[in-house]
Amino acid sequence: MKINTLDKTLFSIFTCLNNFSVQMDLSKLKKRPSYPFETIAVAVSFSSRCEFLLAEAKRIADTCAANLILLHVGEKTSEKEQVLDKLIAKSGIDTNKSRLIWMEGEPVDTILQLCKLNIVDLLILGALEKENFLKFYIGSIARNISRRAKCSVLLFTHPSTKPQKFKKFIVNGVDNPKTIHTINTALYIAKHFKVNDVTIVNEVEVPGLAMTIAEDSTAPQTKEIKKNFEEESEEILQTIIEKCDVGNVSVSNKVLKGKPGYAISKYARDKSADLLIINSPDTNLNLFDRIFAHGIEYILADLPCNVLIVHSRV
Amino acid sequence: MVKLAHSELIVLLLSISAMLIISRIFAELGKKLKLPVVMGELIVGIILGPTILGMLYPDVFNYLFPRTGNIPIALDGIFSLSVIMLLFVAGMEVQLSLVLKQGKVAVYTSMFSMVIPFFTGFAVAWFFPEIFSISNEPEPKLLFALFFGTALSISALPVIARILMDMNLFKTNIGMVIIASAMFNDLIGWLIFSFVLSLTNSSTHGEHLSLWYTIAYILGFGLFMLTIGKKIIDKTLPWMQSKLSWPGGVLSISLGICLLSAAFTESINIHAILGAFIAGIAFGDSVHLREQAREIIHQFVTNFFAPLFFVSIGLKVNFIENFNPLIVAIVLALAFIGKVLGATIGARLGGMSKNHALAVGFGMNARGAMEIILGTLALNAGLISKPIFVALVIMALVTSLTSGPLMKRFIDK
Repeated sequence: MKINTLDKTLFSIFTCLNNFSVQMDLSKLKKRPSYPFETIAVAVSFSSRCEFLLAEAKRIADTCAANLILLHVGEKTSEKEQVLDKLIAKSGIDTNKSRLIWMEGEPVDTILQLCKLNIVDLLILGALEKENFLKFYIGSIARNISRRAKCSVLLFTHPSTKPQKFKKFIVNGVDNPKTIHTINTALYIAKHFKVNDVTIVNEVEVPGLAMTIAEDSTAPQTKEIKKNFEEESEEILQTIIEKCDVGNVSVSNKVLKGKPGYAISKYARDKSADLLIINSPDTNLNLFDRIFAHGIEYILADLPCNVLIVHSRV
Repeated sequence: MVKLAHSELIVLLLSISAMLIISRIFAELGKKLKLPVVMGELIVGIILGPTILGMLYPDVFNYLFPRTGNIPIALDGIFSLSVIMLLFVAGMEVQLSLVLKQGKVAVYTSMFSMVIPFFTGFAVAWFFPEIFSISNEPEPKLLFALFFGTALSISALPVIARILMDMNLFKTNIGMVIIASAMFNDLIGWLIFSFVLSLTNSSTHGEHLSLWYTIAYILGFGLFMLTIGKKIIDKTLPWMQSKLSWPGGVLSISLGICLLSAAFTESINIHAILGAFIAGIAFGDSVHLREQAREIIHQFVTNFFAPLFFVSIGLKVNFIENFNPLIVAIVLALAFIGKVLGATIGARLGGMSKNHALAVGFGMNARGAMEIILGTLALNAGLISKPIFVALVIMALVTSLTSGPLMKRFIDK
């Protein structure tokens, strides 16, 4: 099997050149658009779902005409190599168009470093819908990568050897400079996968509103205040959509009331969406963000479907 | 069991109805003049209390609000319940996640708007206790200095939220930074104040609670409620909202949890208000709490318990007799300097422009109802004298009234 393998020695060279190469790659990464996906990487573990994840990665790489990199962090043994060869053959991945990078080290940091070095546009990972209590707070590999990645990350909750066709996308439309890139990335995927049901969602939550209107607002005033907030959110959403490259994709919009992150997650679950597409986090997330959850942490706590976190690099 | 006599029950009902009806009339009149509702309620207290009614018609005043018998005990119970409920709804609006979400600017603003006024107040009270007629003994001086620092560092979320809404700034970056920082200030402020009250309680009643024991209990309770307690509430709320009568089920369970939590903190010698406030945070932060349930709880507390509590302040204190211009001037100056300076420095360090940082500073300066609640509890605990309490009430009103116009000056620049 002809697979371009980077082994430990090569990694050592990379490590020696770390400062230089990272700086170089960071300059290449900076302002790099979030789409098209030219290089897609998939993190390979030897779990029971690995075969399915490879099949999903192949489908996405083929559809987007992207190069595929298979990343495995762990000790390289002949048994593992044999298993992986079989899995690659079974999933039908074209070995001429793909590379296998086999590396040892701390999984999260190693994968993130490799993604930077190889200018990966999309990293595909398998993820459980819900982690157990302790693991969630400590942070699983997939979720920690999702929080820190400098490229877009696609979390597959139920990968399959016979991948299901994407039909319904839910995309966040929050008022944030990143959103336009996220929506455009969603539309790019929708066009490639011929998805015609894309809903862009803005979430309205006004902290302190109940307290503010409780003492001195009449019923019509309260109604008016709430209506104004909703209309304002709709206008913001409409303005963002007008700036996007919608093309032939059928796009609808929706304003939801509720906590950002939780509301869109619930909506994606209720609507049985195939893919929930959201902005990457604005700040470095840590344990406190999991305890006092907000935004993306509500989604990561209980994945409603497959989730794409778009890193817009703006 | 001691019961209210037939005539006492009539007087009790008359006094409560007078407080509710007259305060509503004043609140509505105040609304026309764009004055905070709490101001109307305080004025009603002053009118019905010893300041005006007690002076002009002492017989009517003594009939409606007698100082002996069972009625004052019954009213005291209602006022205590009112303050617990007020702290519960104040907690319901605190979202710690908002501070994390707003990032660096909110963290700096909340820290500096807390630390600078706290140390300004603490230092003045510690080095010049004679201004406030506080004994120079270390213990009362320390307790008063801790209280005074806290009183200057607290913010009033409801007033701030209303100002931001009127100025159409609620959902802007400035608005969110102010709201997030005020929430954080409230949490830390009430934690410190509970600590001060516990120490005061220990020294007053001779129940010597060790300093570390008190701190450990406050932090332990807070951490438990905001992690495990919050998780339990979060898991059971969907069940409550779907299986129990709506909205009665959620209303009674939520208020029941508030009282349970308040009873627990009171039983471990930390004031009941902390239990109510923390229970409010745990309850209000749940993603499952429906908007309607939240609004009903707020309506009930804000329109029944809040007027009773704020009117009761005027019943207890003669505002004319206890007005000390020097103390008022010092409290006002320290309140403005500490808060505006602290919040402005924080916002600047967080990356805001000079004018926007100043707007944040003046926005955070509104103290409103929270300051008055804090002052009342301190007065009841014997921590402060009536002239200091009057000065705090005036400071709360002046900062609330000036916050919006001063903010506007810098927003428009």
